[in-house]
Amino acid sequence: MTNATAVNEIELVFRAKNGERNAFSELVCIHAQGVRNLIYRMYGNAQIAEDAAQETFIQAWLHLHSYRSQMSLRNWLYRIAVNAATDMLRKEKRILPGDLEDLQLSDPQPGPEAVAFQEERTALIQKAVLSLPDACRAVLVLREYEGFSYQEIADALEIPVGTVMSRLNYARKLLRNNLEQKLFLQEEAEHV
Amino acid sequence: MSDHVSEWLSSYLDGELHGSRLERVNMHVAECDACRAELASLEKISNLLQEVPSAAFTPPERFAAQVRLRLPHQRTVTPGKKLLEISWWMIPVGLLTLWIFINTSFFIYDALSVVNNFGLLTGVSPWMRFGILGAADWSSTLGQIGILEGNSLALAASTETFTRASLTQITLQVSIALLYLSWIAIWWAHYQHQQRTRPLEN
Repeated sequence: MTNATAVNEIELVFRAKNGERNAFSELVCIHAQGVRNLIYRMYGNAQIAEDAAQETFIQAWLHLHSYRSQMSLRNWLYRIAVNAATDMLRKEKRILPGDLEDLQLSDPQPGPEAVAFQEERTALIQKAVLSLPDACRAVLVLREYEGFSYQEIADALEIPVGTVMSRLNYARKLLRNNLEQKLFLQEEAEHV
Repeated sequence: MSDHVSEWLSSYLDGELHGSRLERVNMHVAECDACRAELASLEKISNLLQEVPSAAFTPPERFAAQVRLRLPHQRTVTPGKKLLEISWWMIPVGLLTLWIFINTSFFIYDALSVVNNFGLLTGVSPWMRFGILGAADWSSTLGQIGILEGNSLALAASTETFTRASLTQITLQVSIALLYLSWIAIWWAHYQHQQRTRPLEN
């Protein structure tokens, strides 16, 4: 984020705290993509991502007075998003860990063999990510897809940096164990 | 090699190791085939994750409009609420002020009583002696109408003086303490409720 954008964001937050809905809508526009991406990466379902992201911003609006600018707004929103998505799925029992029915792939139409192969590969990877425990998945997604540093992850999830390290290490090892064999078999099958 | 650095490889890959630990892992990876292979596999996992595309979401402007429609009204703190909040925080301040006032009053009262016992208040304005002179009004009245006399009158007078001086003070102090404790209890309950409902818990 550039300095000008940061200053603009601080001003928008200030105005939103004073009840300006337009200012808050601008903040929503800025962070909508990031929040929805995070939830989508966490739960693999675009509709859940849209719904939970809406809930995230409503919660943010209701609790904006408690937000302190020492913390990045993005990290604050991401923390709300992770909690909002988890709560929503728990309440509605919509969680689909490992269920690939709703996975959105880049091209849903049957295509050439290479595309089908890539789709299957993508689905395997996403399924493996979704099968990770929630706490590990949140850390992995923030690192791999959002490019957060360990400190930023620690701030966003309110956990120590040491915990970030161990969860990430654990998540990657689980993924490796899960994926290596499947992808190897898939690649073998492709070559036959 | 028995001293593998497997637990640090993930952080090493992310460039999050520093100082002596980074040095140690660097040296170990340079020498250990198993750890180098593990590092490569972690890197491969990281690359694989990037292959998963994101979903196609509604445009941010449309999304923001949908959120705006759902935003509850009356989120902002109204002047009435602000006044209520200020009043709430003024309660302990008021109680403390009252406590200081009561203690000061009793101190002055005691001081005047001592001065009066030495007979130094004769000839001063009657309002200064009011209360001190009438400290045993009930027992005096009972003595005047002949119900109490002698030792019993003296005992009743001292009991009344003690009761007037101490019981009132104790009652006031206890009342202030109770009010203050109630305020703390309400504040604590409110604080706990806020902690439970805030959206930031992990």
